[in-house]
Amino acid sequence: MMRAPITPLPPRKSQYGIDPALVKTRVSELPGMTSLLLKELFPSLPDVIFPGARGLEAVREATRNALQRVDMSRIKPEHSVNILASHHGFTLLGGEPYAEMLKTIRDVVEERTGCKNIRLRAGVGLRFRETEEYIKRYGLDVHFHGKALGIAPIDEGIPIETEIGTLYGIKRAYDADWIIHAHNSDVREVHFHRQVDRAVKPFGMSYARIETRSTYHQNLGPRAANFVARAIFDSPFVQGKFMFASFLTVAPNGIIGVDADSDLYALNERVTEIGCRHYGKMMTLFGEIDECIAALDFPAPAVYVFSAGVIYANFAGANTDLYDLDMPLPPYTWYTEAFYGKAGRPLLEGIPPLNPAIKMCVHNYAWTGYPCAFFTEHIPTVVVGQEQAELFNRDPQNLNYMKHAVLAETTEGAMEVAYKTAGTRNVIIFDGAMGGINLSEPLADLLLKKAPEVERRVEEVLLPKWLRQRGIDPSRRMALV
Amino acid sequence: MKVVSLLAVVDADKCNGCKICESVCPVLAITRENRKAVVEDPRCSGCGACEQRCPTYAMTMVKRDQPFIVKADVGAVDYEQVKDVCRIARLNPEQLVCYCTATRAEEVAAAILQGADSPEEISHRTGVRTGCKVECIQPVLRLLEAAGVRPTRPKGWQWYGRTVTAWEIPPEIREKYASRGFYFDEDLKLLDAIAAAPLQGRRVE
Repeated sequence: MMRAPITPLPPRKSQYGIDPALVKTRVSELPGMTSLLLKELFPSLPDVIFPGARGLEAVREATRNALQRVDMSRIKPEHSVNILASHHGFTLLGGEPYAEMLKTIRDVVEERTGCKNIRLRAGVGLRFRETEEYIKRYGLDVHFHGKALGIAPIDEGIPIETEIGTLYGIKRAYDADWIIHAHNSDVREVHFHRQVDRAVKPFGMSYARIETRSTYHQNLGPRAANFVARAIFDSPFVQGKFMFASFLTVAPNGIIGVDADSDLYALNERVTEIGCRHYGKMMTLFGEIDECIAALDFPAPAVYVFSAGVIYANFAGANTDLYDLDMPLPPYTWYTEAFYGKAGRPLLEGIPPLNPAIKMCVHNYAWTGYPCAFFTEHIPTVVVGQEQAELFNRDPQNLNYMKHAVLAETTEGAMEVAYKTAGTRNVIIFDGAMGGINLSEPLADLLLKKAPEVERRVEEVLLPKWLRQRGIDPSRRMALV
Repeated sequence: MKVVSLLAVVDADKCNGCKICESVCPVLAITRENRKAVVEDPRCSGCGACEQRCPTYAMTMVKRDQPFIVKADVGAVDYEQVKDVCRIARLNPEQLVCYCTATRAEEVAAAILQGADSPEEISHRTGVRTGCKVECIQPVLRLLEAAGVRPTRPKGWQWYGRTVTAWEIPPEIREKYASRGFYFDEDLKLLDAIAAAPLQGRRVE
């Protein structure tokens, strides 16, 4: 007996997506869809504090407990503090857990230090007003007494001298005596960061200027790029301001806790293991899917829609082992995309193609604000609704997206086209279902069958290799998870 | 190459003359008159940087009645020179430097050879840096440097400077962090191989 689908995250009002009222049908509502709880697939996944019976109270308590372990004594009442946040946290499990952690950090810092000049500086990716929207949505402007600000990579910069020369941060990220790095351990862009210094990455991204981000994506190479964030974080300028980090720790099935540390690299090791072990299992399992239709149905750009904690951009690379650093180029990164020549094929042999198991993509609901034309160019895609197509045609980052996609009036019509064209009934839905995964019944059967072997392979073979590649001795794995 | 289909329009009642739009415009299409922002219509590339950063929401992006194409004609310059500039910049002429507009290194090199002497002028002629506005400043600066052009920074925050490349990471840094998963040497080989990879042909895009 198959489970009913999990209610997906609702569409979200945003300048980057269509009006939620236009999303008439969710893919999970269609006939033949079911759900799996992730713990059914992998009983070894950790217990979660959210979603759970205690709701956000559990997140608040975990944050307070974690912060007890950090020293804040250098913050004086007359000082200023910037709590640095990133848009990504607000896309996790509805966003409330991350907002709650941010609010709690502010409260605890004031209680412990007497400092009242505590600001929120929330960085973004390529949607420059995204965190402005979240600040209002979650009442952060009120909680921070008006001192909450969205910052963007084209804002005024500040030079930062590093071991590899001058890089550039966003001036307003650093315009305080102290900074607190408030982030999460969700892996999201494994294709970019490859779980190398994941905890440090925002120093080279959401707190960084365009020069720095372009260094990451264009100047250093797909793996060496991860050094950019470390170079900035280790700079005397940043070290002189860094107070501590507080992270929501996340597994594919939910929030597992809050981790805080004055030693970011110690926290990074713990985050690395969580990322490799838990997300590595989901991604390895997704690599077992031999053919499917991918349905995008989540309030985020197409590359960032979630299924079982894995984003579509990573599913598009699930034909390879994204955690294996011996593989230079995943099927999708901006380096990979850049390395396709004018004939539409890679400039070098051996660059893997986008996951050939994805026979069709149904774009039911996803946002603009990230260049995604590479996906429609290489994966047959049906976009639902003229309004959505028009939104993409107006987006300076996606002027070519609809050139390669076809349009359907309804979700039902799009899926019919996909079923007929792809010749498979396997459907995986990227709709952010919490704690589980919405999918079609045949695909559920396949994943249940494959999961035990994947569990063994990751624990016994892949995880030790992944940790060794990142300078972590697998024999002294932490007992955190 | 980019089809410019949008235009920034100022609501003078909302504009407070703060100059942020001027400071972020990648093609220098915005000036001020009587303490109000003014957009130079044919120069605006429709990127939306001003609209996204205006603190008073005074900018709106509207559809142009007549969209137009900006494109540097690679066929109008000596392709050997294009290849030379790209080689010095360590880029393959066919590799993309702007993901949003699908602009390749050869088109930026051609624009430079045709007289574009700054990132702003390159953006105006090719559309590069007018999609996401974030990721492609470094290859543009590398190509300018390769052509022997030293651009003058505009008054705003459009860009600050070229940064380190894979070929410039000091050996002691590579060695110090060799066991942390950064794969400096291996990535360097990959980038060299890409730069030297054979061209696929001059497909019309």
